[in-house]
Amino acid sequence: MSGNAMIRRFLKSDFFYDFTHAPIAVVSFVVIMVIVTCAIFAGFIAPTNPFDPSSLELMNGFTPPMQPNAFTGDVFLMGADDQGRDLFSAILYGLRISLFVGVMAVILAMVLGILLGLTAGYVGGWLDNLIMRFADIQMTFPSILIAMLIHGVARGILPPELRYEMSITVLIVAIGLSEWVPFARTVRGSTMVEKEKEYVAAAQLIGLNRWQIMVRHILPNVLSPVLVIATITFALAIIAEATLSFLGVGAPRTEPSLGTLIRIGQDFLFSGEWWILLFPALTLLALALAVNLFGDWLRDKLNPRLK
Amino acid sequence: MSDHLLEIKNLKITVATRRNVLNLVDNLTLAVKKGEILGLVGESGAGKSMTGSAIIGLIEKPVKISGGEIWFKGKRIDQHPDEVRGHEISMIFQDPMMSLNPLWRIGDQLIEVITTHMNISHQDAIKKAKHCLVEVGIDPSRMNAYPHTFSGGMRQRVVIALALAPNPSLVIADEPTTALDVSIQAQILDLLKQICKTRGTSIILITHDMAVISQTTDRVCVMYSGRLAEIGITKEIMAHPQHPYTKGLVASTPQIDASSFEKMLYQIPGSMPALDNIPSGCAFHPRCEHAHDKCRAERPEVLSNRAACWLLDANEGQ
Amino acid sequence: MLIIILRRLFQALLVLLLVALISFLIFRYVGNPVENLLGQEATVAQRAALEEALGLNDPIHEQYVQFVWRAIQFDFGNSYRGALPVADLIASRLPATLELALTSAIFAMVFGVLTGIYTAIHRGSFLTNLILSTSLIGVSLPTFLIGVLLIWFFSVELGWLPSFGRGEVVDLGWWNTGFLTASGLKSLILPSITLGLYQMTLIMRLTRAEMLEVMRQDYIKLARALGLSPRQVYFSHAIPNIMIPVITIAGLQLGSVVAFAIITETVFQWPGVGLLFINAVYFVDIPVMSAYLLLVGFVFVIINLIVDLTYLAIDPRLRDSQLKQEQ
Repeated sequence: MSGNAMIRRFLKSDFFYDFTHAPIAVVSFVVIMVIVTCAIFAGFIAPTNPFDPSSLELMNGFTPPMQPNAFTGDVFLMGADDQGRDLFSAILYGLRISLFVGVMAVILAMVLGILLGLTAGYVGGWLDNLIMRFADIQMTFPSILIAMLIHGVARGILPPELRYEMSITVLIVAIGLSEWVPFARTVRGSTMVEKEKEYVAAAQLIGLNRWQIMVRHILPNVLSPVLVIATITFALAIIAEATLSFLGVGAPRTEPSLGTLIRIGQDFLFSGEWWILLFPALTLLALALAVNLFGDWLRDKLNPRLK
Repeated sequence: MSDHLLEIKNLKITVATRRNVLNLVDNLTLAVKKGEILGLVGESGAGKSMTGSAIIGLIEKPVKISGGEIWFKGKRIDQHPDEVRGHEISMIFQDPMMSLNPLWRIGDQLIEVITTHMNISHQDAIKKAKHCLVEVGIDPSRMNAYPHTFSGGMRQRVVIALALAPNPSLVIADEPTTALDVSIQAQILDLLKQICKTRGTSIILITHDMAVISQTTDRVCVMYSGRLAEIGITKEIMAHPQHPYTKGLVASTPQIDASSFEKMLYQIPGSMPALDNIPSGCAFHPRCEHAHDKCRAERPEVLSNRAACWLLDANEGQ
Repeated sequence: MLIIILRRLFQALLVLLLVALISFLIFRYVGNPVENLLGQEATVAQRAALEEALGLNDPIHEQYVQFVWRAIQFDFGNSYRGALPVADLIASRLPATLELALTSAIFAMVFGVLTGIYTAIHRGSFLTNLILSTSLIGVSLPTFLIGVLLIWFFSVELGWLPSFGRGEVVDLGWWNTGFLTASGLKSLILPSITLGLYQMTLIMRLTRAEMLEVMRQDYIKLARALGLSPRQVYFSHAIPNIMIPVITIAGLQLGSVVAFAIITETVFQWPGVGLLFINAVYFVDIPVMSAYLLLVGFVFVIINLIVDLTYLAIDPRLRDSQLKQEQ
């Protein structure tokens, strides 16, 4: 099928029709797209590079939004923070880090969950028991707590001089490891159903090995629920990242994510510099709400049973 | 007025969907006499249960009564159904496994209904509850048992006891035996019939089973696509059905006699139309082998001397 | 019945031992107890002596048994920072967290159930739609953001409520409470709302869903057909039937409330165990982390156990089927 034909088929599908007739889905999708585009092209959109210390002018510190600074005359769309950093640029670069951590954590959780789920479902027996009991126990605890714990352990294992450099990686691993269970459960369930079907027996007969069967034949059949879970997990991961960074155990001040920016902003809440808090907070709010609403809609459409 | 306990005049029940308004019950007129058992028969979706719910005032949004009147004992009740619901008119549902509150002892459920409708002391209510259980053939020592310890048939007896406890004048029984074993069905129907005959209570029996109709009811009312097809004395209709649809129903009911073993059971061709696609004229005409132009163009109504069918006029004319 | 309870207890104990194992592994291998006690200038001989004294050369399973045994006696070692016993640290901060968790759990339960029932009964009304769309936003928002926004509005802009700390605390000897002073109670308001809001929306959505489900049941139709008043139908037939799932979820949420207290305590600088834990993560204070894990694990297991047993007490069907299984 050519690309054009595929697009045309997609535009005619029920899925696309439902999408265009659900205002919430369209709006949240557009919001996500705008935010993602802004984050990817932050280098072009942002007026300044917030990570470049030479571009900072301390005199610009605490400039309110849309008002020229008393000393330098510079104007900032969303104001400037304590170090004279343009908040708009900081938010764009911060979004980049938040989204990067979110995407990577989801990919990690997804790969891990699919591997464990396939193994548990296909191999069965004591291995299945071990994996799923572990999943059960992990599920009793909130994932943010697990992420914090993994984070703490990782920091304990790493030598102190690496803690700052590795903090983004640690963040990804911590969030990724705390969110694999829903993927594993879904994949395991589908695998157990699929492996009883005749095409798997046929594949075994023509001599394909376990992994070939699992990856080529079973995996494609479980992708749609996995996609739904990935969207919802993405929302959770963004919130987890922001939370950890806000708590001071996530992205460092030198590479601030949205959560870090909000943490910084909270310090200036009482002295009247509300914009340092408000704009990053509103951005996070829009992002979290849009991803959540879109995920909800996708779940209802693709897999009503997950509800 | 006279001996009519309940009168339904031109009842119309509709539901509004996104695209259009569907008629669930369309221009239905019927009456129930004191002490009689009236059968309401038809396929699923013919509007039987809706009619029952309308009488007792349990129609819920988005479904609504959009026309007609319901009169009970000379009072119009479609505006304020809660005045009669429970103590004058009561209802029994299809699935006894689901119609008792699982967390309540059956005795407590009975006592609650009794004290709600009768102004008597708790002690008397307990006595009355025990009496009700005895009446339906349940050992009163089981007052303190939970519903899940009863079988389906026993639960339906409890439901009957609940419905009859406040001495209603009319009971609407919506497929009361459909979910039960065949061997239990007759027992439950007999019990219901016998209690109501002694008390003079009227029953509206909703069912899709012609055999149940012929064994139990005094009069029967056949519904098709939310409309009345035919109404009359059960024995007469079973013997001489007028409407082609009723003929089909009667012919498709197994008869236990010598000849029936050689005959194949009759099947009505096709199926009842969907609600959003009810044919013009007589709703039954696409399935009727005798349909002619008038059937396709004009809608027949039930008249005092005939069923809702143009063929009957044509025959008379000949 | 006794057998069921004993079996549940046994299962709970098993999970607890597993949590203890993870906690032990973190304590033993992530942290370095020797370096921590002696500092980096210690000689090899000193280290060896301490390793022997601490039992670090014993077989690993014996060390685990030792760890559990000490934990039962509330001995979790000393904090790396300040060298105070971890047990004392936790004990001094536990009342703050428990009071906060309790207040927000009650807030979440009461308002969650009330709004859930209201929105189920009055489907499609203006207030219902308002509550439902607000709750959607509430679920999507990170807890800390709610806290920060509440502080901004009620403390900074309006100046009505304190933004940090517990206010005046009364020391009862074994417990210090903020319930007895006006400033203590005022300080509880914002943190409790922050902590309880998410749970509240969850309980509300669940209550509403369960209520709508129950209202479709035949026994509700029958109760209405029998002429019982809406009051009787809702309060004595529908609501008792939704209480089992609602209590379960609400109960399970109580554990999450204790865990999520970490975030709220950080936002409001609430001097509880959550703040202790987050500082431990920040400063890599392994003994505190390991003890906190054990504590939270214990809370979760106990709550699960209580919820299970409540379940059995409420539903006669469940009780009977369990008994049948046992026989």
